[in-house]
Amino acid sequence: MKKKIFGFMLITSILITACSDEFTTSPAIGALSDEALKNEVGVNLLLTGAYSSLNGVRANSLGNEWGVAPDNWIMDVLSDDAHKGSTDDDQADLKELELMNWATGNGYFYAKWGVVFAGINRANAVISLINSIPDGDFSAQLAEARFLRGHFNFELQKMWGNVPYISDENYTNTEFNQPNSGAIWTEVEADFQYAVDNLPSSQGEIGRPTSWAAKAFLGKTYLYQSKWTEASTLLNDVVDNGPYSLLPDYVDNFRAAGESGPESVFAVQFTADDGQSYNGNIGGALNFPNPGPFGACCGFYQPTQDLLNAYQTGTDGLPLLDTYNQQDVTSDFGIASADAFTPYAGSLDPRSDYTVGRRGIDYNGYGAHPGQDWIRATPQDYSGPYLPKKNVYWDGEEDVNQGTGGWGQQLSGINYYIMRYADVLLMAAEAAAETSDLATALANVNEVRARAKTSSYMQAVDGSGDAANYVVEPYVAFADQDIARKAVRFERRLELGMEGHRLFDLRRWDIAEQVMTDYFANETRTITNFGPKASAYQGIYDIFPIPLSAIDLSGGALTQNPGY
Amino acid sequence: MIQFIHCFKWHLQRGSLLLMLLAFCASGYAQVSGTIVDDKSGEPLIGASILVQGTSTGVISGVTGEFSLDAKQGDVLKISYIGYADKTVTIGAETNLLIRLTEGLSFDEIVVVGYASQTRGDITGSVASVDMSEALKAPVVNAAEALQGRVTGVTVVVSGRPGDAPKINVRGFGTSNNTNPLYIIDGVQTDDPNALNNLSTSDIQQMNVLKDAAAAIYGARASNGVVIITTKGGGYNMARPEIAFSAFTGSSNISNVPGLLNTQQHADMIWQSQLNDGGTPEHPQYGNGSTPLLPSSIQGYTRVVSYAPTTFAPAGQFSAATNGNGTNWVDAITQSAPVSSVNFSIANGEKNGKYYLSAGYLKRDGIIQQTGFERGNVKMNSEFKLGNKLKVGEHINVAFTNTKLGVNEAIENASRMTPLLPVLDDDGEYTGVAGPGLSNTRNPAAQLYRSRNDYNKRLSIFGDVYMSYQIIEGLTAKTVLAGGFNTFNSRYFTALDPEHGEPISTNTLAEQNQTAYNWNWTNTLNYQKSIGDHYINAIGGVEALKDQGKGTGISRQGYLFEDPNFYLLSNGSGAPNIDYVYSGYNTLFSIFGSVNYSFQDKYFATVTLRQDESSRFIGDNKRDIFPSLSAGWDVTKEAFFPQGSVLSRLKLKGSWGQLGNQTLPANNPTVNISNLNEALANYSFNGSSISTGALLSQVGNPDLKWETSVSTNFGIELGLLNNKLIINAEFYNIDTKDLITRDFSLISSTAIDAGAPLVNLGDIRNRGVDLELGYADKTAGGFGYDISFYVSRYKNEVISLINDAPVAGRQDLRNGAVTRTEVGGEMSYFYGRNITGLDDNGRFVYEDVNNDGVVNDDDRTNIGSPHPDFTYGINLKANYKGFDASVFFTGSQGNEIYNYNKVFTDFGLFFNGNRSTRVLDAWTPTNTDTDVPALTGSYPLEEASANTYFIEDGSYFRLKNLQVGYTLPDAISERANIQSVRIYIQGSNLLTITNYSGYDPEVISYDNLSLGVDRQIYPLSKGITFGTNIRF
Repeated sequence: MKKKIFGFMLITSILITACSDEFTTSPAIGALSDEALKNEVGVNLLLTGAYSSLNGVRANSLGNEWGVAPDNWIMDVLSDDAHKGSTDDDQADLKELELMNWATGNGYFYAKWGVVFAGINRANAVISLINSIPDGDFSAQLAEARFLRGHFNFELQKMWGNVPYISDENYTNTEFNQPNSGAIWTEVEADFQYAVDNLPSSQGEIGRPTSWAAKAFLGKTYLYQSKWTEASTLLNDVVDNGPYSLLPDYVDNFRAAGESGPESVFAVQFTADDGQSYNGNIGGALNFPNPGPFGACCGFYQPTQDLLNAYQTGTDGLPLLDTYNQQDVTSDFGIASADAFTPYAGSLDPRSDYTVGRRGIDYNGYGAHPGQDWIRATPQDYSGPYLPKKNVYWDGEEDVNQGTGGWGQQLSGINYYIMRYADVLLMAAEAAAETSDLATALANVNEVRARAKTSSYMQAVDGSGDAANYVVEPYVAFADQDIARKAVRFERRLELGMEGHRLFDLRRWDIAEQVMTDYFANETRTITNFGPKASAYQGIYDIFPIPLSAIDLSGGALTQNPGY
Repeated sequence: MIQFIHCFKWHLQRGSLLLMLLAFCASGYAQVSGTIVDDKSGEPLIGASILVQGTSTGVISGVTGEFSLDAKQGDVLKISYIGYADKTVTIGAETNLLIRLTEGLSFDEIVVVGYASQTRGDITGSVASVDMSEALKAPVVNAAEALQGRVTGVTVVVSGRPGDAPKINVRGFGTSNNTNPLYIIDGVQTDDPNALNNLSTSDIQQMNVLKDAAAAIYGARASNGVVIITTKGGGYNMARPEIAFSAFTGSSNISNVPGLLNTQQHADMIWQSQLNDGGTPEHPQYGNGSTPLLPSSIQGYTRVVSYAPTTFAPAGQFSAATNGNGTNWVDAITQSAPVSSVNFSIANGEKNGKYYLSAGYLKRDGIIQQTGFERGNVKMNSEFKLGNKLKVGEHINVAFTNTKLGVNEAIENASRMTPLLPVLDDDGEYTGVAGPGLSNTRNPAAQLYRSRNDYNKRLSIFGDVYMSYQIIEGLTAKTVLAGGFNTFNSRYFTALDPEHGEPISTNTLAEQNQTAYNWNWTNTLNYQKSIGDHYINAIGGVEALKDQGKGTGISRQGYLFEDPNFYLLSNGSGAPNIDYVYSGYNTLFSIFGSVNYSFQDKYFATVTLRQDESSRFIGDNKRDIFPSLSAGWDVTKEAFFPQGSVLSRLKLKGSWGQLGNQTLPANNPTVNISNLNEALANYSFNGSSISTGALLSQVGNPDLKWETSVSTNFGIELGLLNNKLIINAEFYNIDTKDLITRDFSLISSTAIDAGAPLVNLGDIRNRGVDLELGYADKTAGGFGYDISFYVSRYKNEVISLINDAPVAGRQDLRNGAVTRTEVGGEMSYFYGRNITGLDDNGRFVYEDVNNDGVVNDDDRTNIGSPHPDFTYGINLKANYKGFDASVFFTGSQGNEIYNYNKVFTDFGLFFNGNRSTRVLDAWTPTNTDTDVPALTGSYPLEEASANTYFIEDGSYFRLKNLQVGYTLPDAISERANIQSVRIYIQGSNLLTITNYSGYDPEVISYDNLSLGVDRQIYPLSKGITFGTNIRF
């Protein structure tokens, strides 16, 4: 009997001693451990992961799914360049933003905030990893990671003003709740300066930044702080000595032909991959005509009448800097496609019809925009009759640019320029104008205008020649600094319209309140129900509110921006 | 598994399993058999326990009440059965006994409480048994539903969606993780309540809930309580096979539909909104007059006529006539839902073997179209004696289920869809919002119809094989190898939606395949001995457990035919997409021991110690010890206790113990995990070819340790009037320490986009009382009745939190979280602005909580509690002659609900969409005595953010079950050669009294940091079923 008891005890003790340690250890199947990453392969994997956050998609997404869009189309909606588009009911939270009913809980703010921090910290992850590897030369990767971090922090800074800085030390120590006690320009400058000093002047892969790109970004950082001299020096260096040039044809910037060409300084590299296009522009999926030539989703991101008006030119081929809103480019708002409509016959900058899709003009090779039939917004909605163009691929280029999402939405493969050379020229012009170097300002603005002039013009669908009366000429001279400043600023809008920059230009020029107030009044001439729906722009809107959920999760580290 | 085989082989090689194959010698005991019946009706009593006093020999009566065991003349049998008074029988010459039990209270009933059994009277912990015969009167799909209102201290929230497992909480809210109790189904351990979907409830014999330190024998998995389910078996030495058949059928309907506007009201609402906004009313559907004009057909109605490119029909090609008051979209997506079930079982046994075999089929449609649950299952339990000392047996359960989930957002869309739109257009096709002024809601009827070929099929096999060997009298060794195997495969087809305003351009097939295996191997040694007045029952054991799973999800687009016969991944034209892949496992290794001691059946004590070692933790945190102590005193048995007084029973008991929780939503929570990720980490450096990248997906916490609950329980059991009236009261305090949850404040919004680490967040205290009252009697005329009342109350308090920072609840709601958990408060209170009234424009005025003269986010405050003052259940039973009736009420009092659905139905978020009838009372300059804000087309977002407008009283009182049955007189049954026939009619959820304005006040919470938030819930149904139970 005792033997039997002993036998049982034996099983028990064997189970205990022989198996338990090994038995209760389970590996993380399919995962990369911290140790596994500590080598060149690991660094490159995480670095690619950091680049990946440029496309606006993060794990554990926060807030509204469209708020993350990397091409900042949302920011154009908040400026005088674009309406939300579609029907008023669609994306109500964005409607409230555009109509100036801002609230700290709005999911669009939170979404953007979240994806910017994902980018900052994915870059921090690379830096932290490199710091943890004793051997090997990772200076190239480090410079790229710091460039990316600089870029994301720049985005953060320009949107929210008073922001926390999460350093790579903070990352390593998982100290993510840092106070937002002002601007972080110094840190942004340091990252770009490091990138200037350590990046190669050319890269094998076009999507990686060069030292020239870093200079341009550092120049932009100075520009945003009105450090005109420093900005001038760097931007002029890029213009004078850098590898960039304007593409011969303006529109090629937004077509397959010009993708990754000499005008690209730094771009989000989108592609239409097979299956679900994870590397397409997911945040811009709503911004195709609906209904329309390709019946895609969803009729958002409609240019404003105000923007179209800005392309009017005088008989001298120059923009109507002060008077462009005294007359409207003819609008077909409220006119059914079946009813007659006579397009505007006055003179226009040829960039107009590559930026704003309007009735009667060819729409990216898909035939003439027929007006209301391609517009999802009804006349009862406030988004007007125009269609976006730069973000929409051209007929015949679907193969390379038309990606697909999980419910059949379009994920465009058209790159988004965070910065292109025309932007550099105009920033250099601006810095020059501010430092009273009117000659440089004039030369740069005219270089941009000259390209507009010599580009091929939009052709009429019936083959009768130019689609409209296009007239654009260089400035003869800038009489004084005020005129130069005004001309440079206006040129930015014309050249870079619908590219996500306008809102931040208005803010840093400190004219947002005036411009937006005028815009609401002007826009309401053609879209009569827009004005009554909108509330007044308030000064506090010059920076975004810190998202409510961000404050709640920060354990008291974050404080709200003034006025919210 | 390899690990297990490795260990197994190792033991085999060393012959240590020899024990299990040992020979044995015969003993001199005789076989005693008999039948247990109700003394009045003569009905056999299934599941009564028969124990040879002073020994560990005991059996449970089979489906005809029969039993058989080894005993000798002079032995005393103790027979007990829930609902009947205990009885003792001394064995004489007769070895085939007919034992009649009288209704009353049992304290000798055998209750399976852990790795072994105890008699009820001996229990010193908090153990509740479910009266299964009563609970299963309702057409229950998932056995856990039977706990609702029948076990005090256990909160059960039952979803209306067929196939959904109920949400169970034992004694307040301790953990923010998985709150599911551990289920022990025979030998199988699982904390997945869905596992109970695979079990036919008619196969269940006993269901016991361990609520306090009594659960400590399950150590690291016990802190949410333990539910022990024992299934039926056959009996030894049965005279003939016993066959039982039961069936029910019936149907149910939606029980409560919140009011929505009809077309005229909808049009008026649009007009009023525009007037309030200072505009001139106009609408593409309702014209531009001073009052809206209802169109006879939808203006600008269109639909897609061709794809690639997607092209809508020109105006006028299609038409859709509107109908009078418009469409009631909730009606359009709900249905009268049939339910039917049949079960068949056979049980038999002879001298050395017994078995129970059952087969069943159940189909329950949902009240929302295209939802439902279907199950076919087979169960086989058997046991064999190899001589007198060795028993081998098995339980095996095979179930096939299919759940049709429909479309989650259908009910929300039915609330938002404009009533103007008819369900079908003039050509009989589904309508959509492609026309102007119709908002952007998808047609929920079309959505549901298109989900008709979707399925979620699961094959589940679980069970155990066991062997027990009586080494010496009183000492038994038992080994149990239990396991489960689950395969799940699902198909979802996203069909084209040509009527929608945002038509998708391609269809998609998504398939998921998952397998899960788990096994546990338990070896125990049990010793029972009576020496004079002393009785000892000790058990010791070791246990190893492994859970593993693997799954993939793949989708592909571009199907030429929308016909289920083509729904194979190979038939798509797009590139296939791997949506997810996972693989992993976790293990647990434990050593445990427990000693029950009693003296003179008067004083009781139990000591339990368990050590668990979990693969989820590392280093010193891997292993932890969970002790518990309990004691009881049956005062009744004392000499000084006055016999024949009003007080017929008094027992006091108390317990203390530590329980653990290591059930986490991660297998490897202690380490940082980075992954390659196609969707989130790859990048195309040159705008075409794609480079592989990686990202940190999960932040690890090397310091993570067990969550432990320190549970203290005091109970008093009172019997009065000869135990006709019983009162059981228990008072408890549970301190949950080192609560495990994801720390979203560490990985906050300013962090990397990795999953937040699991941390030991803080300490929570739950304090409460569980009370049970029962009165049962039978009149001389044969009228028997039974009233029982259960009530429980708890108070929840957060004692400490990491960094003392408040924690927000679910983040996926529009405008942010609405719940908050903070030190000093309750878990998950509602947090937002307090509305004090409406201003001169009919907009909300909020309280300036901090008195700084500005109303902003800093003025958010505690605006309500999801915790009830108490919950209760009331059972009334009566029987007279062949008739029986029972009524079961359940309810909750004093809790509040955050009615999140109002975001969509009460505000102009989707301006052209529908609204709740509440807005008929919206503020206007002439209707200022209201709390509904003025209608507007552009709502201030704060109004739809967390505030008191959404808080409603969630109290309810519900008639959950009403049943009337009739058992045919024996004369009739016998003529048909049938032992008994009972027929019944039963009604569920026939009546609910509540002030809550949503679909159902029984709200299933998203997680424990977001309690009481009502969003997209499946509406409640009420129904009638007819059924029969026949025994041959």
